[in-house]
Amino acid sequence: MALLTVIGRGVRVRGRVTGEADLTIEGHVEGEVAITGTVTVDGDGIVGANINGRVVVVRGAVKGDLVATDAIRLEEGARVVGSIRAPRIAIAKGALVRGHVQTGTHPHAQSSTSSASRSKAQPARAAAPQVAPPPRAVAAPVAVKRPAPPVMASRTIPAPPPHAVKIAPKGPPPPTVPALKKGAKGALKKKAT
Amino acid sequence: MASTVIGAGIIIEGEVSADEDIVVQGVIRGKLDAKEGVTVEAGAVVEADISGGPLTVAGSVTGNITSTDRVELQAGARVVGNVKATRITIADGAQFKGNVDMDV
Repeated sequence: MALLTVIGRGVRVRGRVTGEADLTIEGHVEGEVAITGTVTVDGDGIVGANINGRVVVVRGAVKGDLVATDAIRLEEGARVVGSIRAPRIAIAKGALVRGHVQTGTHPHAQSSTSSASRSKAQPARAAAPQVAPPPRAVAAPVAVKRPAPPVMASRTIPAPPPHAVKIAPKGPPPPTVPALKKGAKGALKKKAT
Repeated sequence: MASTVIGAGIIIEGEVSADEDIVVQGVIRGKLDAKEGVTVEAGAVVEADISGGPLTVAGSVTGNITSTDRVELQAGARVVGNVKATRITIADGAQFKGNVDMDV
């Protein structure tokens, strides 16, 4: 029997699963999975781990990030909480996903299973983008002056000098269009004719 | 065929617990708890304490073995560790270093 590995229904693995083979998970795996072949999480499989593989097929439950160098297929019944990243991603009807999804060739994805460092480097890199939200506390005073999407606000933080922030709460902002005097519109109309 | 196979080329570092038969052809480091049979095939490497039911070893095991049933060390097996079981067979050609404890 060649490189076929099955973690059956009655089996629970706590730790790291690595290697160069195909892996089918029907039981529980907690920890980390880094395989250079195809990883299949079957209908009854429950995985609490980041999964790295060439092809990742999910029909069961996964809590963790999925990274594949070739493709990810979420089939009916799949429940995934975590980001998924692969050159090609298929999400079938009836599959649930909660997390970031990214397709296309990616320098990180390409290198993830090609070297021995794959398993150690992966979790930290995968977590990094989620950990950095835009600085919200600094954006608050700007929002008083002019409601703006958070991305815009964070970009305009350095622009206003300190006095602008102080003036802002005292009164309403100056009108952008100068008010016309009473009857001015009529006068203009008369001139035109 | 047993429903759980740790194939050649797979390395598990950690704890494996199984309620069903398990066949090891790859590498397990850590701990292996089974309620049913365990087969360590030729070429497999288990660096872990093993507990379970009937146990057949043809590969390499480093660690203590506890079985509620029989332990069979086949020719070509290499076992370093203590073996506790109700029955035990050691085939000609099996390498074994450790104590044997049989319930009498």
